[in-house]
Amino acid sequence: MASKNKSPEQKQYEKLEQKHELKRPVLQNCVKAFFVGGTICLIGQAITYFYIYFFHFTEQTAGNPTVATMIFIAMLLTGFGVYDRIGQFAGAGSAVPITGFGNSVISAAIEHRTEGFVLGVGGNMFKLAGSVILFGVFSAFVVALIKTLLQIWGVI
Amino acid sequence: MNQIGKSAMFSMVMVISLLLTGCNLGNTSEDSRKSMIQSVNPDPTAIEDQKGKNYKLAEKVKKDVRSVPAIYDVAVLKGEEEVLVAYKVKHMQRMHMKRIEKEIKQKLEKNYPKENFIVSSDYKIFIEVLELKEKIRDDNNFSKEKAEERLQKIIKFQQELT
Repeated sequence: MASKNKSPEQKQYEKLEQKHELKRPVLQNCVKAFFVGGTICLIGQAITYFYIYFFHFTEQTAGNPTVATMIFIAMLLTGFGVYDRIGQFAGAGSAVPITGFGNSVISAAIEHRTEGFVLGVGGNMFKLAGSVILFGVFSAFVVALIKTLLQIWGVI
Repeated sequence: MNQIGKSAMFSMVMVISLLLTGCNLGNTSEDSRKSMIQSVNPDPTAIEDQKGKNYKLAEKVKKDVRSVPAIYDVAVLKGEEEVLVAYKVKHMQRMHMKRIEKEIKQKLEKNYPKENFIVSSDYKIFIEVLELKEKIRDDNNFSKEKAEERLQKIIKFQQELT
């Protein structure tokens, strides 16, 4: 951890660093993420309609197979090395939708393949995705608790 | 496997799934295909009689639901005991779907206290009602019993949550 009191050399170095540091194109990144993330969601919506139209799913129930399909597609793209390129280009746009979750699972599995199935693939597959599941379940629990309390008190 | 082999396999999977979808398209009616992108305003339908009392009731129900400003397409199907009302909500009003559903149900129950209404904003239910309506209209061999049976299936389907 950096100490609060910086030596004159450190301050000088900081100035030098700021002078040479490249500025991040925040707006450009946001626009890219917006469009790529939007496109992924558009594909998801199309798949939802596919399930509603051709199979026996309602708008309520079509969510589950859609999520499974999106993760399956992300898995294929990760395996072929295409998703990495999308990720480099779009950043959060490809990480935030459910496909980013699929990508994190599969890429960890590929990376640790050489360490064996149990300790390698099995042990590391949910390294990143595990925290997503944990905090997802926990936040769902908190929200459900708040909703239940509000219903008991008659607010909603 | 080399790069070309992989992409060839991937595109083959895509082509097969597209072909499978293409084969299925033949079974759907034109109205239900159109309803995905535009308003089709389907005629109300009654299983029991095509021009009698039940039909008039369905027509009235449709008019009532149509008067709700947040809605742009309504399909009404009057069965033996239930009246199934499927509607599409305007895109900007989709945040208030639950409120709209409650509003419509209350309105209908107030206006027609003797009827049993099943109200749904689900697109699948809308398509199913359209398909059943077409079947009743076009297929002479399609009996009332069969139509009622299918209506019950749609109602059961509407209640599914997972």
